[in-house]
Amino acid sequence: MTVTLWPMASEIEVKTPARLLATESAMDRANRFTKDAMQYTNQLYSAALRYTKNAHDAQDLVQDTYAKAFTSFHQFEPGTNLKAWLYRILTTTFINTYRKDQRRPQISDGELEDWQIAESASHTSDQGKSAEDEVLENMPDGDVKNALGEIPEEFRLAVYYADVEGYSYKEIADILGIPSGTVMSRLHRGRKLLRELLVAYAKDRGYAKEFDENGKKSSQAGDES
Amino acid sequence: MTENHGQSSCQEVLNAMIFFIDDEIHDQDQLTTFEFHIQQCQPCLQEMEHERKVIAQMKKLLSNACHEEAPEELQARISAQTALLAAQMSAPTQIITEYRQSQTTVYSDEFGGIRIEETRIEIQSTNEFGGDFPLA
Repeated sequence: MTVTLWPMASEIEVKTPARLLATESAMDRANRFTKDAMQYTNQLYSAALRYTKNAHDAQDLVQDTYAKAFTSFHQFEPGTNLKAWLYRILTTTFINTYRKDQRRPQISDGELEDWQIAESASHTSDQGKSAEDEVLENMPDGDVKNALGEIPEEFRLAVYYADVEGYSYKEIADILGIPSGTVMSRLHRGRKLLRELLVAYAKDRGYAKEFDENGKKSSQAGDES
Repeated sequence: MTENHGQSSCQEVLNAMIFFIDDEIHDQDQLTTFEFHIQQCQPCLQEMEHERKVIAQMKKLLSNACHEEAPEELQARISAQTALLAAQMSAPTQIITEYRQSQTTVYSDEFGGIRIEETRIEIQSTNEFGGDFPLA
């Protein structure tokens, strides 16, 4: 009985995987990521608190954001804005993780209606101007935080990215994944709500007792209690 | 209130005011028209200065109120997570072994009869490394 085996061992084909032209070891990537991205933990945490409104979820959200950012770090284009890229991941992580099963009513995202623009755009009286200035000057941090927490999430985030982070409408549009026109309407409505709330707080606390409902100085100053 | 200064009315200027303050008027002609109007129109200029002041004040209030320090524990969790993810990625993910092999068995009996059985196994060998990342 004979047994023949072929081909010979030397003919066994060993394929090597196609290597990419430029690669980075996992450790090199971890070092680069730590050096570039870890400087933004405070900012990401501050932003995360505006999404989740509680410290525990905000920490988890930031941690998840860093995990996603690390595993897709090759998609980040060096030289572009890394912080904005991280905010974009923060937003998608929040939407995917923390809002998945939450059936929450969405604020209508319509652009500013003409009548809304017309309503907000008019010359303010001098009393109204100085009254608003006074209120804002004396506003405690806690009230500002509460007011920001009270306005709807969509408005809050637009205001946060514009007025705390100083981003342009276009940059906010990229971070939130919405059109620039929507950023504009959310930002303007958010700011307006925020100002109204702060004036209302001031009135409640009695350090702005001469204001009427609209935050303008009452014509009969001093009659409000 | 409805006066025209140059080619724009107060209403148009008031509607565009927030874009001016936010530095979001990108059209040079619109910007020139806006600036021309507020130079000529005292109420619009005052309105613009007030709005600008309030927005600057709001920005200051918000920035002071919203500046939070990430807890040290969170920083540590992220660092540990990054190290873990990197370690998982740098470990060889799997080694797939493939080779090609054919086998022919020839049976012969005492009467000179021959029976041939052929078996082919196709396997090729490939090592896969999981540790490297493409650079963007």
